[in-house]
Amino acid sequence: MPMKWASVPLALLLSVTSALCGSSSFENTAIVRTVELGGAVVHVTTTTALKTYTVALGKADREKTSLVEAKVKGQDKLLSYTERVEKDVSLFDVTLPKPLAGNKTVNIVFENIQTHATTPWPETAEQRDDQGLKYTTGLFVLSPYSTLVQRTKLKALVPRFKSYTEPKNVDAFVGDAAVTKAGATVVYGPYKDIPASTNANFIEKYQQPITVHYYHEQPVLEVRTLKRAVEISHWGANINTQDDITLYNAGPKLKGHFSRLEHQMQGYMNKPAPHILPALNLGLPPGIRNAYYYDTIGNVSTSKLRVAPLAPKGAQRSQFSLLELRPRYPLLGGWNYSFTLGWDAPLESSAAYDKKTGTYTVSVPILTPIPGAVVTDEELQIILPEGATDVNYALPFPALSAEIGTHVTFLDTVGRPSITLRYKNLTVKNAQDIYVTYKVSTLAHIKKGLNVAAAVFILFALGGIARRVDLSITPRKKKVQ
Amino acid sequence: MDYDALKTLHSSAAPFTPLVPVSLLPALALILLSATFVLAFYFSTLPKNAIPLKEVAVASTASILGGFGVVALFCTAGVYV
Repeated sequence: MPMKWASVPLALLLSVTSALCGSSSFENTAIVRTVELGGAVVHVTTTTALKTYTVALGKADREKTSLVEAKVKGQDKLLSYTERVEKDVSLFDVTLPKPLAGNKTVNIVFENIQTHATTPWPETAEQRDDQGLKYTTGLFVLSPYSTLVQRTKLKALVPRFKSYTEPKNVDAFVGDAAVTKAGATVVYGPYKDIPASTNANFIEKYQQPITVHYYHEQPVLEVRTLKRAVEISHWGANINTQDDITLYNAGPKLKGHFSRLEHQMQGYMNKPAPHILPALNLGLPPGIRNAYYYDTIGNVSTSKLRVAPLAPKGAQRSQFSLLELRPRYPLLGGWNYSFTLGWDAPLESSAAYDKKTGTYTVSVPILTPIPGAVVTDEELQIILPEGATDVNYALPFPALSAEIGTHVTFLDTVGRPSITLRYKNLTVKNAQDIYVTYKVSTLAHIKKGLNVAAAVFILFALGGIARRVDLSITPRKKKVQ
Repeated sequence: MDYDALKTLHSSAAPFTPLVPVSLLPALALILLSATFVLAFYFSTLPKNAIPLKEVAVASTASILGGFGVVALFCTAGVYV
């Protein structure tokens, strides 16, 4: 079974009016589904209108979805929703900010990000070949309400399409053409007068998978595992972040051999192959210091860090430090690269102290976003100072699992409390902060010095005993009083 | 706890300040560890009495100074403990 890579954002724009009569159901006046075809991330947005409006997603699409967001068009506030599954269709009941009166319209934007949604096709490619990706979705946007007009737009980054499916059996809804291509967009529609489509009848008769085969000019990246450890130190007023990253190029696997000569020539002629990753640019937080980048062989010196100045706490964080990473070898399709990246940052930039309650609050970013890449597995470990009590945390979105354990490191006696969180299928949109609160009494803080003092005292005690032990072969002459 | 509540608490509270300013730590490490070394040397010259009062007193002060000196040394070296 071919593995599916990359995440695809889908936008569904549904314009809905509430019907006049007592059945109080909705009618979609217009649905526009925009799919931004990418490498690892595909963005889907759908817009519609009403009070508790139900949006439907087909089974295949739901499986690939990692993030769902609903909001009213033009507003930023996210709407709450509950999900339920009915046979093969996932239904999201979105609560509208205000109930919609009869014959009124509201536009809802329903966004979801799909991960591992595109497949490289052909599956193998030589060093200089193009990179083609395939994306499959359902032809119709399913909805429990009838729709007046509906269209699906699939936008690629470059206007080069290899092929797209011609839909069959849609004459009942079609005006002129079932599918048209304009520049970098393939449009399926407009389809008119579609009845309620979340029933098995419609799905069996009309719903069909459509596949778009397009050229993608950027490498498709996947971070297979990300292990992030964030350690907070009160004595050094420092927060250390360390990422263990396994990077995978999810493009077409290399056919034949890798020629270093050809690779240099490509760089020289400035015609790089689209699926090869020679270097990676990351945006790190401002004001960092002591950054390190090493892999299994040792330190990697082919990197350049430009540190952005630290804005005072509370000010908008506008600038990112730029780290240009150049792995030891260019990453071709199907190749892996594991490395460790870490840095120190002053604790003042992330932590705050509330005098009234004596609580420390820290903001910990979940991941460093790599544009267009998906993080398949993440383990985030937040290590608090020794003796921290009343540990609490708030997550921007639910994690797969969360547990509080103990982590032992330098100069520890009982160990430090650590929070371990696990995530799956994260994208750039998930690059948000976790907030952790804890208390450290001054005594607990001083204890570290006292623990080391106790160890030193033991050494003195041993020295005192050693002074009194007589190891000489002939007994020491007693001093004449 | 509620995410938004924690977020506002975080942005409204004062930024973290360490007990000892970080810029002082290298100097503090040097002073404390030198004092520890001197006291340890003095400890080795003390008479060996049956009740080691003076030895324990000197050892205790040297330990306290050494304990905090080691913590300051670790932070100076970049191992933020």
